[in-house]
Amino acid sequence: MPQPLARELGNLIERGRDRQLRLAVTGLSRAGKTAFLTSLVHQLRHAGLEARLDLLPAARDGRLLGASRVSQRDLGVPRFPYDQALAALDETPPRWPEPTRGISELRLVIRYRPAKRGLLGGESRELTLDLFDYPGEWLLDLPLLDHDYLSWSESQDARLTHGQARHAMFAEWRAAVADLDPAADADEAQLAAIAERYAEGLRAAREAGFADLQPGRFLLPGDLDGAPVLQFFPLPGLAEAQRKSLEALPEESVYRTLATRYAHYRRHIVKPFYQQHFRRFDRQIVLVDVLGALNAGPERFEDLSRALSTLMQSFAYGKRSLVSRLFAPRIDRLAIAATKADHVTPEQHGHLVSLLEALLAEPLKDLRFADVPVRALSLASIRATRPREVEQRGKRTPALAGTTLDGDEVLLFPGEVPPRLPDAGFWARQGFDFHAFRPLPRDAGALPHIRLDAALDWLIGDKLQ
Amino acid sequence: MNDPRPGQRFALDDPPPAPGDPRPAQAFDPTTESRDWQPEAEPQAPGEAALVASLARPRRRRWGLLTLLGGALGLGAVEAGSTLYAASLGGDWLAGAWSVLLLLALGLGGRALLRELWRLRRLRRHGRLREALAGLDQASPREALALAQRLREQLGLDADHPHWQGFVTAHQPHHDGGETRALLAHHLLAPRDREARRLISRMSGDTAVLVAVSPLTLVDMALVAWRNLALIDRLARLYGLELGYASRLRLFRAVLYNMAFAGASEIASEASMEILSMNLAGRLSTRAGQGLGVGLLSARLGLRTARLTRPLAFADDEAPRMKDLRGEVWQRLRRLEEER
Repeated sequence: MPQPLARELGNLIERGRDRQLRLAVTGLSRAGKTAFLTSLVHQLRHAGLEARLDLLPAARDGRLLGASRVSQRDLGVPRFPYDQALAALDETPPRWPEPTRGISELRLVIRYRPAKRGLLGGESRELTLDLFDYPGEWLLDLPLLDHDYLSWSESQDARLTHGQARHAMFAEWRAAVADLDPAADADEAQLAAIAERYAEGLRAAREAGFADLQPGRFLLPGDLDGAPVLQFFPLPGLAEAQRKSLEALPEESVYRTLATRYAHYRRHIVKPFYQQHFRRFDRQIVLVDVLGALNAGPERFEDLSRALSTLMQSFAYGKRSLVSRLFAPRIDRLAIAATKADHVTPEQHGHLVSLLEALLAEPLKDLRFADVPVRALSLASIRATRPREVEQRGKRTPALAGTTLDGDEVLLFPGEVPPRLPDAGFWARQGFDFHAFRPLPRDAGALPHIRLDAALDWLIGDKLQ
Repeated sequence: MNDPRPGQRFALDDPPPAPGDPRPAQAFDPTTESRDWQPEAEPQAPGEAALVASLARPRRRRWGLLTLLGGALGLGAVEAGSTLYAASLGGDWLAGAWSVLLLLALGLGGRALLRELWRLRRLRRHGRLREALAGLDQASPREALALAQRLREQLGLDADHPHWQGFVTAHQPHHDGGETRALLAHHLLAPRDREARRLISRMSGDTAVLVAVSPLTLVDMALVAWRNLALIDRLARLYGLELGYASRLRLFRAVLYNMAFAGASEIASEASMEILSMNLAGRLSTRAGQGLGVGLLSARLGLRTARLTRPLAFADDEAPRMKDLRGEVWQRLRRLEEER
């Protein structure tokens, strides 16, 4: 959608002055993106009044005046459903906001008093923060941009046969695709049926806690449900050596049909999604549900690690300058956060962070090479439990008080978080079982949180000086 | 009466957890009595305390001096007591009165000595607290909170002092050492830092003016020395340190030592600014130039003292800067010159 020239120019000037930041909130599905955004807007809105943002120096010094939502840059994109999310938290019993099913945007103007008055500018200054929410499933499509159909097929084939649990989920699809000849003429109905099997396999894998699932629109088609562009799948057993002979196949062969659909998917769905929303970021926070991955077991844990490292290659990192700020924004500062930190007792946070660092070990090395400062923290956007202490047989044990999703009031020690991934023997012996909690009933004050203020300080604190 | 403990089943075929394994989940009855979570202190590694003690600076006690003073006080008291007794028997009231006076004097002396010792101990405790707070970033939440309590006591704040209350409301159980440090610096120390800066700025400005207008050099020197000692005294009191005679001497020595070594390298690194201030001094009259020099020295002394007595070491941007202080002293002298 073409935008009015004046608006674009205004954005450009704001970007040049570096008074406008675009924050990438990255996370796979159920990592807590929506809760993070809701809480972030809420805390900034209540900053200076009830919100406790003690680790954000601007708020601690009382310089942060608050924030308000303004009309966003791209009017063709729905607004982030902040009010609905708050309404969900206000219900009795309170519940978590609905998972995101589409793209939404939000522009926030933060007003603050500068620590030192400059020559220009008055009593207060403004910082514009652009936020963007999207289904985490779609994020996994970004690595597709580096693949054509053949190489994608190969990589998927390798991935699907890796690990027993995943292999089992795709057994039905594998049986169906086994007797499909790439050179034969394509049968629409047959391809649709096999694609549906494939999508079923993906859905089952997501239910079981896997993260590295492509293509993402198969899980959450949006308005593309049933369109032929979603009726493709990888062909097992292809190899790079066959490329010449495969490309020479006639137009209506199975291979060429699937390759055309894949190319269309890539060009008309993934690429616009990436170009419109994922290229212009200044700061990034990567949210990871480490506890969920621990609950799901070692195979899913590695899968998550792989998904995150391929994913983070889609972003541009590096130092910023005036020119790059205007025309090719890069992420110059990054936070990685283990979300749902309120689901473990406070003394486990250190372990949670070291586990997170282990999970993201590969991307962290690249970031260090790009000289981008990274901070790892444990975070709970909306705190759902209260830390307690139980005295049992003369021994003091930390515990959490909260309400589970089923509505039971519990007081429990949720289990220890290991500082690194335990060995195979441990998983067979014990495994992890971290409980999920329902949000606390909201009182008049701001939403309780854990270290959201520290995350804010790291992400935008340097612009609030 | 307590309820009888409910039955509990132990399975025989569960494999026992390996010693290094993370602890499994454990559910409690929601009605179990629980209290607010307090971060747990991690046990110090065995031998660590001994190591720290052996690495610390050897304690030098002036046993000779102490024995001499204590012995003199003790023997004097015995002597005066026996004289008093003999006088009361013999009816020699004059000798009795003298010995009562002597006893009184000895009591006062003893009290002064004890107070000195006590204050020296406080200085030492302050140093220990500073050392402990230097490791705050690595501390676990519980240790951090304990250190915060110690800091509060050292600063002499009540539990309902507004600054401490501000810290308590801001502090959350999950805050680790580094976060606690930021909160402590903001709530407990920032007000004192502001006061310290104001004090240094005012005192050094006054000293500069004093030297600039005083006609007698000798009197100047005495006045400046006296004022600088007072500055050190007030700064120390601001950061929760009450100085006695010996502890003041010791602190003063540490400050001078620090100025001579750390301060000198700092001056070397800021040489251009120093030259600038010399140029500035050249633009003033001789007396005002001297005033500027003495004022700057006083400011530097104040800064060093604040740096040595502040329980938490200054972060990069927290410390008052010599540059600002220099500007202020200069402004005051300029005004003085113009009025003349």
